This record gives sequence, structure tokens and C-alpha cells, in this order.
Amino acid sequence: MLVHRSTKRGVFAATIAAVAALAVSALPAQAFTPHSEIGVTANTIKLGITVPLTGSAAPGYNKVPYAMKAYFDYVNDNGGVNGRKISLVIKDDAYSPILAKSVTNDLILKDKVFALVGTLGTANNEATTKFVNDKGVPRLFVNTGYSGFANAKKYPSTYALFPSYYMEAKVMGSFLAEKYAGHKVALLYQDDDFGLDALAGFGQAGTSFVAKIPYASGSQVDPTVIGKWITSIVASGADTVVVFGVSTATAAALGGAYKAGLAGKIQWILGSVGADPTTIKTLAPTALPLLNGAIAASFLPSASDANDEYVKQFAEINAKYNKGATLDNNVLVGMNAGMLTVQALRAAGTNLTRAKLMAAIESQGSKFASAGFAPLGWSKTSHVGYNGYWFGKLGADGSQTPLDGAGKYVLYTTDSSSGAVAKATIARPAMPAKGLPTN
Amino acid sequence: MRKSKALSALTFLALGLALLGLSNFVDELRVYQGAQIGVYIIAISSIILLTGYSGQISLGHGALMAIGGYSAVLSFTYWHLPVLLAFTVGALSSALAGFILGMAAARLSGPYLAGTTLALAVGLPSLANQFHILGGEQGLSFDIGEAPKWIADKTVGEFTQYKWFFWITVLCTLVTMWFIKNLLQSRYGRTWKAVRGNPSAAALSGINVGRSKVLAFTVSSALAGLAGALLAMLLGLVAPMAFTLTLSFTIVTGAVLAGVTNLAGSIVGALVLVVIPELTDAVATHLGGSQKITANLPGLITSVLLILTVIFAPNGPQLHKRMRASKKESSNTIK
Amino acid sequence: MLILDTLLIGLSSGAIYALMALALVLVWRSTRVVNFAQAGQAILSTYIGYEVMNRTHSYWISIPFAIIAGGAIAAFIDAVIMRALAKRSHKGSVAEIAPVIATLGMLGLIRSLTGAIWGNEYLQYTSPVSGKGYLIGGHTIPFSPQNTVIVVGALLVMGVFAVIFKFTNLGLALRAASFQPEISRLAGIRVDRIRTIGWAFAGSAGAVAGALVTPTSYLSPNSLDLLLVSGFVAAVIGGLDSLIGAVLGGLILGVGFAFILQYIGTSVTFSAAFIILIVVLFVRPRGILGSKVGRRDA
Repeated sequence: MLVHRSTKRGVFAATIAAVAALAVSALPAQAFTPHSEIGVTANTIKLGITVPLTGSAAPGYNKVPYAMKAYFDYVNDNGGVNGRKISLVIKDDAYSPILAKSVTNDLILKDKVFALVGTLGTANNEATTKFVNDKGVPRLFVNTGYSGFANAKKYPSTYALFPSYYMEAKVMGSFLAEKYAGHKVALLYQDDDFGLDALAGFGQAGTSFVAKIPYASGSQVDPTVIGKWITSIVASGADTVVVFGVSTATAAALGGAYKAGLAGKIQWILGSVGADPTTIKTLAPTALPLLNGAIAASFLPSASDANDEYVKQFAEINAKYNKGATLDNNVLVGMNAGMLTVQALRAAGTNLTRAKLMAAIESQGSKFASAGFAPLGWSKTSHVGYNGYWFGKLGADGSQTPLDGAGKYVLYTTDSSSGAVAKATIARPAMPAKGLPTN
Repeated sequence: MRKSKALSALTFLALGLALLGLSNFVDELRVYQGAQIGVYIIAISSIILLTGYSGQISLGHGALMAIGGYSAVLSFTYWHLPVLLAFTVGALSSALAGFILGMAAARLSGPYLAGTTLALAVGLPSLANQFHILGGEQGLSFDIGEAPKWIADKTVGEFTQYKWFFWITVLCTLVTMWFIKNLLQSRYGRTWKAVRGNPSAAALSGINVGRSKVLAFTVSSALAGLAGALLAMLLGLVAPMAFTLTLSFTIVTGAVLAGVTNLAGSIVGALVLVVIPELTDAVATHLGGSQKITANLPGLITSVLLILTVIFAPNGPQLHKRMRASKKESSNTIK
Repeated sequence: MLILDTLLIGLSSGAIYALMALALVLVWRSTRVVNFAQAGQAILSTYIGYEVMNRTHSYWISIPFAIIAGGAIAAFIDAVIMRALAKRSHKGSVAEIAPVIATLGMLGLIRSLTGAIWGNEYLQYTSPVSGKGYLIGGHTIPFSPQNTVIVVGALLVMGVFAVIFKFTNLGLALRAASFQPEISRLAGIRVDRIRTIGWAFAGSAGAVAGALVTPTSYLSPNSLDLLLVSGFVAAVIGGLDSLIGAVLGGLILGVGFAFILQYIGTSVTFSAAFIILIVVLFVRPRGILGSKVGRRDA
């Protein structure tokens, strides 16, 4: 009898609770915006970004969104875009596809952003693609080089900026064949679509490795895992090691190699993702002697190149608007994406809509001013951004200088399929006056 | 008895229809959160069944959810099963794992069982990196598609995929609650309560204590598996990071806050888990607190609540009250 | 050579597991609670050590501060939370698991607290001792001066505990209070206070583990999470009741992990921990050196 009564009461309680739950959930999530496009009002534009602010991939990357915001603040203080001020909602995804999915949900449904900008990570962007596509939210200049994102059919509202990892591996393969023929080369790579894209590119380039060492994203903080990398490298007899991982992984590999007494015994060749000297230096101070002389691929100028007009202007903005953050490659990446975004928004016109924004990038994007050394490839049929890299030697001070020592940049360009690798010289639009686009 | 069963079946049906109807009129974000609440209700119920009714603990239900999630996704992707059947596969796989684990669990007392399931929660999801078919750290994508046209056409407003998720979750949650409610009123439910109350007395009266515990673990695991499959649907993918130690802790927290001996409390627990981050977020945005504080505030609040609950109302607020009431009753009789 | 290298890697991580296991055993012996907050307490005390190091610029000065902090945190948890718990919820269906849940709550609380105070960044808590492996016969072994510090530090802690338990009145009281609390009370031992001291010792041992191991990696609110599981498994292997068993369990687990990692794969390590645990519980439920009464239900 008692059992019976209590369950009945339970069901009653359940009903009450469920109704209460619904009452709470029936409240409108946010006030209605009186403009025809989501995230845009007469004087504001709301953008969103997801990046790892915490967790194993955060060091370095956590500077990107704040640099982007600093650039937007600078533009806002100078009149904004067509009279509208840009705000950037920054969400932490801890480099987890799962969290990326849930914070992107928030950005689109709760914060109701107009567009996503510079969302970071291959797996992370893949995890959110379905929802982003369904909602038709423009996703500009994703911070990943996965070649798939340039596929305009599969990712209709996504615009790649970085040259693809596939391109990077092809270019690096031809660089290795040119400068390191006869060397024993090992490859350390992140075991997801980021590393696999590179692996496919190396396959296309016909590069052979004495050892391929995959690692699960996130495991690079485990000292025992790092120990395993090093023993594998030593066992393979490699004298050259290529790293396709995030900066924390590069720092871990260099730190581990130092502990194993490999300083000076290995030529390190770093993919563009994990080659930010500032981040590596902070994470693994002991790795410094190994970093000196490492070769890194890059598509932007070095952050230490004070003569570059883009670096100079960005440094100025950074000093004023970014709360004393050290200027490094991550800051450049953030500001560069910010400047491209401002140009895209300007090109889309006063009556801003998502469709117009995407159309503007496709028709005018290839002429936007940006710090990248390679041309931009956006068009009606292609969502490919940059298409090439240069190689530079890192110094102990964190500088990156062209290999010939005379300051002459050599750009290697290619595509994400079977096309040849070509050498080119740099041709990019001049930096707009004061870093404020006038397109 | 039969009459009351029919009545409560009607209650469930009405509740379901009311929820589905309401989903046509609320914000898409709330619909998604509603589906989240449903997943939590099932997951928390699985803990309540295990801990509150059978006296066992598990800190590894996140791992069982992972088994359910991965099995559902794999059977959906490779065998092309219909969604609900894929969910059933998820629940059954998890039940099988739970059966094996339960055999070990029945022999272990509280702290040992807690530690063993903890090791499972940490160990199992990382296995996805070892076998390529499981998609590594990046995971496997899981897209169940849109609602069928004959449903979508008959409702008000746009039938978004999230609304479809919500409908499926509501269906699963109500069926699950109905199932557990009846199970607890059955012979098995009475056996569990007897074992929980006094294992030695139960054994003397002919109950096989070990078998009763294994059964509870198996059923609880099946529920966790279903919750895992639904979670995979909501997320659109399965990956090791979806089933972290934190998830295991979260559902135990939800169960304790709900009052671990009260099934209906699972709704309260689930609501708390979804509402607290939402509230702290709103408060933080309002006050403009720094990122590191806003990110950690929900964890801080739930942890404090957990500690307070376990000290002041360890058996749940309901039972607490009931125990006090029955004490008063009995003292009255003596007078 | 690889076998010897692997053994050395295992030895150093095993020493840390042993310290964590030791901490768990101390708490178990004094209050019959498995303290799942142990790793969290170790992190908090390491953060305090980090703050001291930032101010004094000395790793060595920071260690005693971390140890004292670790002891104080543990004593606080026992005196404030565990005592209240023992008084209020000693019966009911969840009495057995209430302490487990309370310590889990503490773990969550400490994690959020450290995250809110120090952020989730990776901080450097560096030791002045080199992390570079010793060079022996032209081969750099995976064992560095910092590893030596770890092993020596762990041995020191174990030695101190051995002396306290074997040769002091306090040790005798600790043992008595855990095995026969009622009789001890009658014999004039202040059981509550003695138990809190047991917790404090455990907290200090955990703090040493945190302070020694963190320089080989980074400091973040979650950086010792894996120690939570390894420490528990090591303690169970050793028998949860025995201090020497905890040390042996830690070393066995450390070496076992190193070999699995080297020869099987990096992602199976923790599944292996689970399997090892299950096997131990079935084959030898009281662990290597545990007392006979134990873990099975009546």
C-alpha cells in the first residue's frame, strides 16, 4: 500500500516537475532583433569564434581570438564597418569536437551571431558542419588547413583561408627531395583528419619515411607518451624529423629530445601549425637549443620581421588594443583574419545579409589585402584561400628567416590534388593605410 | 490496481503529447535543451536504479554510455538499422557489458566498486584511439537525418532537426520511465528493495542476493546505453571526449541531488544539471566576470550542492521527509 | 637496452604512483574512506607551491610549503566535512557510498576552485635539477637527475612514515584508532583528532607527489587526474591496508604501464589499468599484502 501510494505520488511529482521544466523552457531565449538579418542591427554586427582557451592545445591558440578582437576594436574606434561596430563572441571548445558542437550551438541559437570567423581545428569544424550548413551560417576563414573545407559543395558556407595540409605536405615533400635527399626522415603527426590530410599529401609527393609516429590529440601532455615518441625516433635511426602537430606537441617533442640527449643530432622540420617559436619557448624552455636551426613552413611573414608592412601595422594595433600580448604568429593569424573579415563585411554592402557576405567573398575576395605571401583563390567555384608556403630557419630568438640568408622569400605553390609544385615570388596587395581597409 | 495502471499510462501519454505539442511553440535552443534534459533523465534514472534501489555505486556509467553510443552509431552506419533499432542495439550492448561488470560488482563493496568503475570510465573511451573503426579522438559522425515528411507536415512551424531529436528523446524517456516504474513494482523491484534494506535478511528469506544485484547492474547499464545513444544523436557524433570522467561524475551528481532513492527525482536532477550552467552564464554575462571564473562557476556550484546534499540529506530530500514522518507516526502509536 | 630503459621509465612513474597509493592507504586506514579527492588536494597544494616558488624563486623552498599546505587541506576536509558526514549519514541506503560521493564533490570543488583562481592555462612549475637523462657509455638513459629527485623524495617520505608508524606513540595511536576505535577511545586516545592527523599525513604525501612530478610536465587543474586512477589501482594491488603494499603496488603498476606503453600501444594504458584491477580483485582480493578482512560484501 505504501509502495503504491508513493509511486502514485511520484508520478504526480514527475508531472509537476515536467510542467515546471517546460514553463522554464518556454521563456524566449533572447529578445527579438529588429533587423532582417540575424546578428545584424542598424549599428552592430555580432560575430562568433570557437577556439581552445583551455586544455592541451590552448597554449598559443588562446591568443588568436583576442588578437582578432583587438583588431575589431581598432576598426570600431575608427568608425566601424558601414557605421556598424563589430562584436566578437569568444567561446572555448578545449579543442574537443564535442565541446565545439555545444558552444557552436550556443553561438548560433543563443547568441545568434551573424557569422562564424576563424573557428579553429579540423575535427572541431567537421563536428559542427552539419548544423552550420543547416542554418546557412557563413563560416569565414576557418583556422585549419584541412583540404576538405575548400570543397564548396560539401561545405557551402565555409571559406578556407590557410593553404591545405595536403598542399603543405606536397610542398614539404618536394622541399625534402630537393634539400634532404638521402636523409632518413621520420614523421610525427596528429592522428585525425589534420594529420591524415598531410599523410595523403606526402603520399602524393612520393615522400618515404623511416618511421611514421601517430599520436592521439591531447596525449602530447603525457610524459610517457612523449618518451615513446623519442624511443621510436631513435630506433628508426632518423636524422630528420617532420612534425605535423600543434605547438604543444612540437614543444613536447623538442623537450623530450633534449632530455634524451638528441640536441644537435636531428634536423627538425615543423609544419606551419606547430611552429610558433613564442609558444614553444614558453612551454619548453629547455627545447630552445633544439629550436635554433629548425626549419618551419609558413604562409605569413614572420612575426619578428619588423620591416614587413603588415607586421609593423599589426604590431602597432597589438600594442594599443591587445593588453600587452607578445606579438607572435598567433597574433598575426588573428589580426589577419580580422582584417579579411572587415573587407568581406565592407564588400557585402550596407544592407548586410549572410547571402551578400558570401557572394562578396566569392566575387571580390581574391583581391582583398592580407598579410599572406600567397594569392587568395576564392571564387564562385572554389573556397580555397592561400595556396603556398615558404620555408624559413628559426633562430634562438624566435625569428624566422628565409633559408638563403639574404632575406629572399621563395614561395612554393601547389593545389590539393595532383598538380605540380611550383616556385614563385611574392606578390600581395599593399597594406591599406593605417591598417584600415577602404575597399 | 489495474485501474491505477491505466490511469498512470494515460498520465504518461498526456504528458508526452503535451511536450510534443509544446515543442512547436518554443525557441529551438530550448527544444535542444529539452532533449538534453531527457538524456540526463534516463542517465540519472540508471544511477538511481543502481544506487538508490540496489545499493551499488558506479563512477563508470560514462563508459557504459560510450558503449551504447558507439554501438548505436556503428550499427546505424554499417548495418543501416533504423534509428530506434540502432538505439536498442546500443542499449543491449551496454546491458551485456553491464552484465559482465555486474558479476564483478556483486562481489565488491562500495569503495572498491567505486574505484573499479572509475578505472573503467578512464580506460574505456581511450580505446577508441587503438581501433581505427572507432574513429580515434575525432570520433564518428552520426546523422540520423530529418523527421519524416508525414510528421513534419502536420506540425506548426519549421520542423528543425533539433525538434526531431526532442521528439525522439521524449518518446525514449517516457518509455523508459514507464518501464522502470513497472519494473520497480514487480517482483524484481521488491527484491532489490529487500536486498538494499537488509541483505542478510533478504538472503535468509530465500532471495539470491548476488543474482539480484547483477540484474540491477544489467538493467541500469541498458539505460545508460540508451542515454549514450541519445547523447550521440544530439551531438551528431561519438568521440572519446563525449564520455569523459566528468560525464560519469555529472550523472552521479545529478542522481544525488535528485535524492538517490526517488525515481521521479531524476527529472529534478536533470533540470538542475542543465539549468545551473544556464543561470551562471546569465549571471556572469550580466556581471561581466572574467572567463576563468564563468567557466568554473557551474562546477563550483554543483560541487558545493553535492557536498551539502550528501551531508544533510544523503538519502534524498523525499526519503528524508518520509523517514521523519514515519518516525513521528510510530511514536504517536506508542503514546 | 630498450627493456632496461623501459624499466627505468616505469620506476620513476611508479615512485609517484606509490606516493599517491600511500596517501590513499593512510586515509583508508584511519577512516575507512577511499579518498577520491586525493589528486585534487595534490593539485591544490602544488599550486600553492607554485605561488611560493614565484615569490621566493626557489623550487626547494616551495616544497615544504606545499607539504604543509597539503596536510592542512586534508585536515580541513576531514575535520569539517568528513566528520559532519560521519555524524549525520551513518545509516540509510547510501551510507556506504556517502563518503565516496562527498570526496568526489571535494574533487569537483577543488578543480573548479583552482580553475577559477589560476585559470586553465599550463603553468611552469620548474625544478632547477636537470631533466636531461644521464649519459652512460654513450647512451642517454631515460632517467635524469629530476627522476633521481623523484625516487629519492618518495623513498624519504616512505621512510619517515615507516619510522612514525613503527617507533612513535603517534604511530601506535594511529594504528590503534583505525583498527579498534572504540577500545582506543576507552584507552584515552582522542580518536577524532588522531584520524585527522592520518588525513593530514596523507595530504602531505600527496603534496610531495604533486611537487615532484609536476616539473616533468605542466601544472593545470587537471594535470594530476591520471594519478587519481593509478593511485587507486596501485593501492588495491598492494592491498589498501598496507603501507608497504602501496609502495610495491605503485612500483609494479609503474613498470607495468611502461612496458604496455612501449610494446602494445599508448591508448590501451588505462584500459590495462582496469583489467589489472579486475584480475587482482578476483585472483587475490586482499592484494599482495592486505589484511584478510576486506573488500567483499558479507
